[in-house]
Amino acid sequence: MKTIAALLIKQCKDSLHNLPSLMILIIYPAVAFIMSTAMQGEEKMGDIFIPMFAAMHCSFAPLVISSNILSEEKEKGTLRSLVMAGVSRIQYLVSLFIFVLIAVMLTGSAFLLMKPVTSFYAEAFAAAMLLGSAVSAVIGMCIGLYSKNVTAANGIAVPVGLVFALLPMLGQFNSSLSKAAEFTYSGQLRTVFEGGGFTTQTWLVSVAYLAALSFLLVILFRRKRLE
Amino acid sequence: MTDNSVIRLHEVKRSFGEKQVLKGVSFEVNKGEIFGLLGPSGAGKTTIINILTGQLSCGGCAEIFGVSCGKIGREVYRRTGAVLDNCGLYERLTCADNLKLHARIHRVDFSRIQEALTQVGLEGCEGKKVKALSKGMKQRLALARAILHSPELLFLDEPTSGLDPATAAEIHLLMNSLRGSGTTIFLTTHNMDEAYRMCDRIALLSEGNIAECGEPAELCRKYCSNSELSIVTNDEQKLSLENTPENAEAIAALIRDSKLKSIHSSEPDLGTVFLRLTGKELDK
Ligand SMILES: Nc1ncnc2c1ncn2[C@@H]1O[C@H](COP(=O)(O)OP(=O)(O)O)[C@@H](O)[C@H]1O
Ligand SMILES: [Mg+2]
Repeated sequence: MKTIAALLIKQCKDSLHNLPSLMILIIYPAVAFIMSTAMQGEEKMGDIFIPMFAAMHCSFAPLVISSNILSEEKEKGTLRSLVMAGVSRIQYLVSLFIFVLIAVMLTGSAFLLMKPVTSFYAEAFAAAMLLGSAVSAVIGMCIGLYSKNVTAANGIAVPVGLVFALLPMLGQFNSSLSKAAEFTYSGQLRTVFEGGGFTTQTWLVSVAYLAALSFLLVILFRRKRLE
Repeated sequence: MTDNSVIRLHEVKRSFGEKQVLKGVSFEVNKGEIFGLLGPSGAGKTTIINILTGQLSCGGCAEIFGVSCGKIGREVYRRTGAVLDNCGLYERLTCADNLKLHARIHRVDFSRIQEALTQVGLEGCEGKKVKALSKGMKQRLALARAILHSPELLFLDEPTSGLDPATAAEIHLLMNSLRGSGTTIFLTTHNMDEAYRMCDRIALLSEGNIAECGEPAELCRKYCSNSELSIVTNDEQKLSLENTPENAEAIAALIRDSKLKSIHSSEPDLGTVFLRLTGKELDK
């Protein structure tokens, strides 16, 4: 526990000095804020933008950030120095997962401040944000485990993140894309952000993603051993 | 395994793909000594450290504190420290923050941070970001981190390579004082002077085998007779001949034919020992 706390403190300090990763964390809430204030006069604009950017935030940010942090630690040899200090690889991944969830939830809570919400909506919103971040963080950790260095990791993480972030939005304009979006966790969670609440399909799709990706993570973890 | 040995390698083998880097390496490191692993770049020194620290699997038997290297856990890591070829420091954090992380992991008091920084000559650098440090300072910070928890065994992978002589000398001083306090040091180097001056015992690594192992002075005595003559001819051929009557004739012939460029008696050094044993130059 103490080790995980030590890693979390390190990660917070490090991320605060890492401008690109800070940008990724605040870009979607910031853009949503600007758009919804700029279009305040028009009916329901906030109702469109906030769910859209919330879905993007919880799919793109955790994915890119976790793969970035993990691959950078591998590339710079800092992960190795942690392992040699007696930190287990599992402890490291747990701390990374917790850090990403906290960072995304904190920045994502800004969406709730942009319009008046009921406590029922806020709870569903937080649950969806947490679920989405967890799935994305696991994808990001898989990519980070798989990649040798930051460049390689970003080369995979950014396109994958964009697919999950943009598909729900593009689905609004095209019916076949909208069908595809239904089978992504981000597309499902977007309906929760829109106020639709959790349906059975939302749970099924999200939990299926989480289970399948966690399985992949375990396989990669055993094969690659963080080296 | 004697009670005194901290590290033990027996017939350790390791290949990367087709290439066999270690072909059966055996040696022991005793408690409290500075042990040097000397070999040219690419000989497999870092590979041996990686095996010993549980980062690479290997054939044969490798043990550290009596624990097989494939099964190293927290207990062993708590007793060892390492400065690796790649420092592994967080560039965006300050020196103090880098050390605080490891102080928390090792559960040592923060007061040790100041002590360790002073020991490596980095007092006053606590608040400096690592990315603003020079290579020598980073190396010293990595050393401070390695000794933060007062380990019994310290791995140093070419700790002075690429450093200016003054910084290297400081690191050597620190190594001596650590040995004085009972720390065992496993040093790799391709610098024969460093190995000769610093190490109690050395092993010469060449072509994946230990060519020779022992005290540096003893090895020099064994392999370098003072009557050795090194000759360079005008067409850049290098010869080394024993100072015997039979060779006198050959040398005289070289002088007669004006083929002799230089001639001098070799000082006994580890470079010569290495050349004798392996037919290879140590440097580069
Ligand atoms: N992970 C690896 N994959 C493939 N080859 C490697 C790997 N690590 C080391 N080698 C090879 O092993 C040899 C020894 O490397 P190394 O132990 O780093 O040498 P040294 O530290 O003595 O300079 C080199 O030829 C290198 O190419
Ligand atoms: Mg090396």
